[in-house]
Amino acid sequence: MDFDRRQLLKTALALGAMQAFPGLSFAQARPLVFATFTGSWEEAHKAVLVPAFKKMAGDAQIVLDPMLSVDQIAKVNAAKANPPIDVMLHDPGPALVAIGQDLVEPYPVDKSAYYKDLISEAQVATGPAPFFQVVGLTYNPEAVKTPPTSWADLWNPEYKGRVGITNMNSTLGTGFMVEIAKMHGGSEANIDPAFAAIEKLKPNLAAVAANPGALATLFQQGQIDISPGNFNAIQILKAKGVPVEFVAPKEGAIAFKTTIHIVKNSPNKELAFKLIEAALSPEVQAKLMDAPYLIVPTNTKVKMGGEIAKVLAKDTDELKKKFVFQDWKKINENRSAWIEKFNRDIKI
Amino acid sequence: MATSTTTYDWRLALPLGGFLAVFFVAPLAVLFALSLQVDPKGTAYGVSQYTAFLGDAFSLGVLGTTLLLGLEVTALCLVLGFPVAHLYTRAGPRMRSLIMLIVLLPLLTSVVVRTFAWIVILGRQGIVNSTLLSLGLIATPLKLLYTQGGLVVALAQVQMPLMVLPLATAIGRIDPNLADASASLGSGRWRTFVKVTLPLALPGIIAGSMLTYAAAITAFITQSLVGGGQMLFMPMYLYQQASTLQNWPFAAAISIIFLVAVLAVVTVFNMLGRLSRGLTEA
Repeated sequence: MDFDRRQLLKTALALGAMQAFPGLSFAQARPLVFATFTGSWEEAHKAVLVPAFKKMAGDAQIVLDPMLSVDQIAKVNAAKANPPIDVMLHDPGPALVAIGQDLVEPYPVDKSAYYKDLISEAQVATGPAPFFQVVGLTYNPEAVKTPPTSWADLWNPEYKGRVGITNMNSTLGTGFMVEIAKMHGGSEANIDPAFAAIEKLKPNLAAVAANPGALATLFQQGQIDISPGNFNAIQILKAKGVPVEFVAPKEGAIAFKTTIHIVKNSPNKELAFKLIEAALSPEVQAKLMDAPYLIVPTNTKVKMGGEIAKVLAKDTDELKKKFVFQDWKKINENRSAWIEKFNRDIKI
Repeated sequence: MATSTTTYDWRLALPLGGFLAVFFVAPLAVLFALSLQVDPKGTAYGVSQYTAFLGDAFSLGVLGTTLLLGLEVTALCLVLGFPVAHLYTRAGPRMRSLIMLIVLLPLLTSVVVRTFAWIVILGRQGIVNSTLLSLGLIATPLKLLYTQGGLVVALAQVQMPLMVLPLATAIGRIDPNLADASASLGSGRWRTFVKVTLPLALPGIIAGSMLTYAAAITAFITQSLVGGGQMLFMPMYLYQQASTLQNWPFAAAISIIFLVAVLAVVTVFNMLGRLSRGLTEA
């Protein structure tokens, strides 16, 4: 074969352009883009969900693009007509924002084989919830001898300078504040009692972490011994040998639906539907429930087992009894004002 | 003074000019336009985002503490970096490469890793606290992490190369004979330093200070990990408004105000430099 310099240059330029503007070259058939979360979520989805999807969709191409919910919304918002993402994953707060901004397609419930098997809380027509995240109390069993049983234990004078919380930027931080408000007579619409309570918590506070990830680091460093925490995040720490335990408080563990959505105007709606079906299927959920992922299943056909049955709930009925779901529609109405207030008031 | 008379065709600057126009000027213009929206839906245009920021003591406080943080870090870098740079210019070739290696080493590590290292150092069971405890100097661990002091120290370490490198270049250019001349004219070491070395090192001090300052106030990762969630600086404020709250117009206004404030501080640095040079020459 004989190489022409011009030809070579042209090919190189074309290849370069394809790299720089993938939209050009894949306008017709781009792979399905699934925006998952970073960290353990990405790992779990790569290992379990993607293979199940490929089996279902005849080896269709799929790309995982891990990022935060809020960043997914920003990205889709910036290119509504030709979104760079086909499937989004959202915590309850961002999910309502995405729906409010008309970024998601209603889920084709009638076509779905698994939708009706989901527990009622997970049946959301704008995008079903294939996963739950659970927030309870996390503590270091070497420093905290009697396991805590209630959110109120954080105020125990014994834990002076040993308690960690996060600010309200995260779903975890906001959900925690709402729960504290409820304990003191407030609600999703009235968070003032929580601010009053945090004022009293100040002597105990060792840190207000910038995000839930930073909270995990603080356990590793022995900077804090007790905090509100995410069940999955704690299992990851535990697996690394950090002395930390999770307990569902008697007021109920806060459960966040993690919903999955087909992006409006996606060129891959059919594949997006198949991916979501895979996520709702009992096979995938059963696998994701096992170690090391320990993701709480929402399909009632999945029998609870392992660590989840031990620490959280042995079946769906118990799960519903032990979990508290919050009204994020109400929360979102005031969330920005609360974040501002937290910025201003919480200085330790 | 020799002046170069070579002229270059202005068209040579076109590629870079075009690049800057597309990737720098245009986004900045879009950002500015966005900041003029009254609400996130863009229903009306006006300066309400700016008045909201500038009329709010809390927001101004965030801006103030951020600018102050930059000054503290810059001052610490200067105080610690100047002797290092001075030593570098006076050392032998072997020592020189060793100092350069030590100065450059942090640049070769990710800022995330360096910041986590500071969490380990400053933590309750960290190196500092456990040393002090074992020496019996303190009874309970000191709170170092999540304090302004801890943050300044961590940022100073992270940004130190940006100070030392320009300083070393500037001090290296000073003719050592000048110090001898100053001494032979009866100046002591201190007077020589203040009257000769310091003014001549000024370009390096200014360049280093500007780099350190700009890097310190925008260091999102270090600020949020060592400073924690209860200390709010401009980058986190910006992120919170843009990402968590999706309030892009206000976030855009914060960016523009931050940009203007930083440019103002840099201008002051420059003016101080020029002013003090004028004084020493007078």
